[in-house]
Amino acid sequence: MYIAIGVLVVLLLVIIGLYNSLIVKKNAVDNAFFSMDVMLKKRHDLIPQLLDTVKGYMQHEKELLNNLTRLRQQMDLPQLPVNEKIKLENQLQSILQQVRVQVENYPDLKASANFLKLQGAINETEEQLAASRRFYNAAVNDYHNGIQTFPSSIIASMAGMVRKEYFAVGEDAKEVPVVNFK
Amino acid sequence: MSPASDFTAFYEKELRELLLPLEDQRKKIKKWGVYGFVLLGLAIVFFIIGTTSQLPAAIIIAIVVFVAAIIVLILFANRLKKFTGIFKTQIVSRIVAFINPSLSYSPERFIAEADYKKSGLYLKSSDRYKGDDYVEGLHDKTFFCFSELHTEERVSSGKNTRWETIFKGMFIIADFNKNFSGRTYVWSENKPQLNFLNKLFSSFASGLEKVKLESPDFEKRFIVYSNDQVEARYILTPSFMERLVRLQQMTSTDTSMSFVQTNIHIAIPMNKELFEPSVFKANDFSRLEQFRSTIQIVYEIIDELKLNERLWTKE
Repeated sequence: MYIAIGVLVVLLLVIIGLYNSLIVKKNAVDNAFFSMDVMLKKRHDLIPQLLDTVKGYMQHEKELLNNLTRLRQQMDLPQLPVNEKIKLENQLQSILQQVRVQVENYPDLKASANFLKLQGAINETEEQLAASRRFYNAAVNDYHNGIQTFPSSIIASMAGMVRKEYFAVGEDAKEVPVVNFK
Repeated sequence: MSPASDFTAFYEKELRELLLPLEDQRKKIKKWGVYGFVLLGLAIVFFIIGTTSQLPAAIIIAIVVFVAAIIVLILFANRLKKFTGIFKTQIVSRIVAFINPSLSYSPERFIAEADYKKSGLYLKSSDRYKGDDYVEGLHDKTFFCFSELHTEERVSSGKNTRWETIFKGMFIIADFNKNFSGRTYVWSENKPQLNFLNKLFSSFASGLEKVKLESPDFEKRFIVYSNDQVEARYILTPSFMERLVRLQQMTSTDTSMSFVQTNIHIAIPMNKELFEPSVFKANDFSRLEQFRSTIQIVYEIIDELKLNERLWTKE
């Protein structure tokens, strides 16, 4: 009789332990996503500065810069669904990369102190963003390990925990190419 | 920075002549050392003869010879210490100036214990802390300093106490090229500093989490802890991780680093001394060349880690 109760108590404790560790992992994912969001916002806030600094010099890139301005306006819209947000962020990434490449053709701009400082800030933000993406993916991986391995998988499915999306590995697998002014 | 090939010319022009009187001194000191050890050997022989053949006279001779040996060895040590000081002031400082006139060399100085502790590279508290051969200066935009350090722990087993080395080797501190506010530790896999106990109880460990990184090559050589998972990855980018692996290959499998208060700290365990003159062998070109290449290694480390690349907001 007492043995049965003892076994039940132990079982209960194990279940609680497994559930708690799953919750910790899930929260780590949300936390990582939040960090990423902070970095995305930082990058977003640098765009007006970038536009101001380059538009005087980059006379021939009107279309590229207009794309950038339009994109930023789209991203400013409130209540964007997450998938839409992600799509726009990826587009932003690629446009910023194109701007970076085009800057090579404007030596005056490349040499200007304003631009150099701004480029430093953008490089820093991009790398912090890459770092938070890597952390997010690591947290998601950990979480998946938790919900897929036995026995915590049982608890996970009972609690309705599902897989999360990884962030596009394509972008952070390659090093963010930073322009070197030498 | 002067290239290595000029060193031969520099040696011929400036150092060779200075070495001549130093070599004479060294040979005299070596004699003291040899006599001291020979007397010690004699004392042991007499002692063995005395005890095995029960000759009290032999034992008395052994004691007398032993005392003489000790006196000679003490005098030897004193002379060696003076010689080392003169050698370093005359020769090593010129080598340092040859590499870069703006470098400063202080033979007696060493990295402060507070900085060593702050680096978090060796968590055992040291009972004895000493070092020498402090060099500091600028390599391009990167400020760096290094010295030899020897930290030890007193271990008592019953009535015996002996000294166990915690760290002996070259300790480098350099300006890191990114801004960061937390602390990240990259310990060698061979020398993890956190164990079950201190993880739970030490204030050092509070807030630290293990950081699992993507590179298997890196993960099998290092174990990383940080108080900020994102910042750890900001510092340890994939290409920087590759460079740290190469750094370990360049130096020693026990090399570890940490990133604290915008500095990078590197601890390279080494058995041999950094800039001590040899006493039983000649101090010739090849020995001086060794000194030069030791300093050169620090420059190579800064270059390898690309600390001079300032692409972000830190100047």
